[in-house]
Amino acid sequence: MLDLFARNRVATLIVVLAVAYAAIGAAAPGYLSGTTASVVVSSSLVLMLISLGTMIVILTRNIDVSSGSVLGLSAAVLGLSLNAGVSLPLAIVFCLATGGLAGAFNGLMVAYLGIPSIVATLGTLGLYRGIMLVLTGGRWIEDLPQGLKALAANLGFGFSALTIVVLALVILAWIVLRKTRFGRYFYAVGDNRAAAHHLGVPVKRVQFTAFVATGVCAALAGVVFSAQIGFIPNQAGSGIELKAIAVNVLGGVSLLGGTGSVAGVFAAVIFITSIDSALVFLKIPAYWNDFIAGAILLSVLLLDGRIRQIIDRRIRARRYAVHDRGPTQSAEATMARTLEAGR
Amino acid sequence: MTGSPAAGRVAKLTDIWKSYGAVPVLKGVSLALQAGEVHALLGGNGAGKSSLMKIMSGVIQANSGAIEINGRALAHASPAHAQDLGLYLVPQEAHILPNQSVLENICLGLAASPRVLRSRVEQLVAELSVSLDLDAQAAALEIAERQIVEILRGLVRDARVLILDEPTSALTPFETNALFQRVRMLQAQGVGIFFISHKLREIREICGTISVLRDGVIVLSGSLDNYSDAEIIDAMSRVQIAEGSGKERGGRKVSQIGKPRLSVRGLSGEGFRNISLDVRAGEILGLAGVVGAGRTEFAETLFGLRPQTAGSVIFDGAELTKRSPRLCIDRGLVYLPEDRQQHGLFLEAPLFWNVSSYLVHRLPFFLRPGSERKVFDEFRASMGIKCTGPGQEARGLSGGNQQKVLLAKCLSARPKVLILDEPTRGVDVAARNDIYELIRKLAADGVAIILISSDFDEIEQLADRVEVMAFGQSGGEITENISVDAIARLAFGASEARHA
Repeated sequence: MLDLFARNRVATLIVVLAVAYAAIGAAAPGYLSGTTASVVVSSSLVLMLISLGTMIVILTRNIDVSSGSVLGLSAAVLGLSLNAGVSLPLAIVFCLATGGLAGAFNGLMVAYLGIPSIVATLGTLGLYRGIMLVLTGGRWIEDLPQGLKALAANLGFGFSALTIVVLALVILAWIVLRKTRFGRYFYAVGDNRAAAHHLGVPVKRVQFTAFVATGVCAALAGVVFSAQIGFIPNQAGSGIELKAIAVNVLGGVSLLGGTGSVAGVFAAVIFITSIDSALVFLKIPAYWNDFIAGAILLSVLLLDGRIRQIIDRRIRARRYAVHDRGPTQSAEATMARTLEAGR
Repeated sequence: MTGSPAAGRVAKLTDIWKSYGAVPVLKGVSLALQAGEVHALLGGNGAGKSSLMKIMSGVIQANSGAIEINGRALAHASPAHAQDLGLYLVPQEAHILPNQSVLENICLGLAASPRVLRSRVEQLVAELSVSLDLDAQAAALEIAERQIVEILRGLVRDARVLILDEPTSALTPFETNALFQRVRMLQAQGVGIFFISHKLREIREICGTISVLRDGVIVLSGSLDNYSDAEIIDAMSRVQIAEGSGKERGGRKVSQIGKPRLSVRGLSGEGFRNISLDVRAGEILGLAGVVGAGRTEFAETLFGLRPQTAGSVIFDGAELTKRSPRLCIDRGLVYLPEDRQQHGLFLEAPLFWNVSSYLVHRLPFFLRPGSERKVFDEFRASMGIKCTGPGQEARGLSGGNQQKVLLAKCLSARPKVLILDEPTRGVDVAARNDIYELIRKLAADGVAIILISSDFDEIEQLADRVEVMAFGQSGGEITENISVDAIARLAFGASEARHA
């Protein structure tokens, strides 16, 4: 029973989500509607991208706290290029390349130079934000062309072009991580690095790739952010990396690496975003948002921690039970003792 | 046996040398393995077995020498390369990815399609007649099953050479039998197997040939039938004339031994059961056994680090229940852990912090570094710790000096009973003699000492009495004529013992 619960974190989360929706739907009729769904989905896109990238890095038993700054930096590159007259597709390419480069630098430091990921990305958290501020001269980027904002426009059923891209990316990530050999490597490297190396997995390259993927995801989040807001403030994306880590934990991604699923992260992002929208609907003042989100996160983690402890204790007990299995074990010892007695 | 090039040869090592820094561990080892041969590889701790294995399986690079697997040379040290050539090392502790499925664990890193791999693994599972749920999570696997997973990893990679590193050390007799049946099946299929073990009885049961490694040299090699157990144990444990070490006993008189300090009655816990022993003031009790015999678990249970399941511990006439490290330290029962890097020292902290760390709960709220330094300086003088000063970080010291600092830390608690777990592991000869002297002096001062060691020479030199642990149980006691041979016979659980 416990094993089932621990293994099916996603299912648990979906059940909690369903119960929460039912309760909110009962308390505030009209919440459960297509409009709410489309609002939730479109306002979850940025967090979805950052969380997805962060997940890939966490799977390999690293962490990336710089993705908010990567978002800001690549959004600035996008905005500056556009305002300099670069065409939209090319500007997006610049933006994604910036994210990829930023991620590659993180990956280089962690995978090849051996700097602990928390230290390396704390450094680049400041560095990338700093580069952004230098590039923009500390000013907000406004007057973005209509073409960019059109990417976030509703194409029908509340879906924008960006929604479709992000959902496609989520599905792609799911396929790569679940169904391909290289995807399996991310799990293996985080689960037991020595074992992965022992079996010929290119441990360093896998970690490096994870950081590059995260950078590209953060850059895409920068595109979404700019298109949705219509301007790029200095602090674009600031603090979202911590929210993304929280989402990952909530979605069942172990910070120790090796476990987690795209479905879990997806559900957790929708969950967190839904809370925000539900609070509005229930007319609870917005300043309760953080308190409630934090409380929910902590309760899930406490429960999860207890379950894990119990499972660990069981595994340990099973391991040492080896020595308590019947009298045959003591054959050698008895023989030796008989020998001693006979002397 | 390295000479004749047989058609069925699957592995050949020629003149392998390896040293770590200035310390040579392998001095020209040559070995060969035929298809279908089960070749026992024996050696005491530190004989070079594990280095040899790591070199064969591509984990570390030899300084010189050639390795040939299935007729092709191992060109560079990489586990994947060795596996490509057809050699797989089944380590003593399986490398398991706990969060992946069993099938994923077996097939990780292989290029074939999942369906092909699955059917191949299923076929192998059937051939070996094991029952294994391929879709279960690996974390839940039992130790024996983890080992099967490792063996399957090798087989699915078409390994023609398997190295089994102490495969039975954590298995029950039933599981051991099952493993041996599988080894015989593999043997029939022409797989060559290096079988590393401490247990002579098992070696007799499963192996056809044997090589004994001592101090980095093969001292005995050939068909197992040609050698008696006594010859093998003798080859393994023959006392080397060590470089300038004081080999004579401590010269303390038994009359110095006082009243019982610690009595353990029927103690059971994780990894050992039903252990009873007594140790008296001024006595050095050797607790001998091979790695994995349960000695460290026993000591950690005494010191309150692990839960006990049965038995009692009587310290100075009163039963010590609900033990915790703090309680034990306060009463004077002190444990020096086996792994000084992980459990002993605070490597980044200054030496004087290390020494006062055992008693940190007794220090005043506002620390007085001056007096802590003074305490350290006293130990430094009396033990001959070589360092730049009390403020030096522990990481910078040599193994021997680190061990002395650790000992000073234990002594700062003024122990009545001191449990020393492998006190000279990784320590050079000179520092080793210093530590021996210290241990003797402590005993002369009336401290009761339990000396845990896998180095039987060490026990022979120091101990007044020896308890042997084997397979998690008491393996016997030696009160007179303590010798390496006698200890080895009990510790290895040799069948030879029957007619000794």
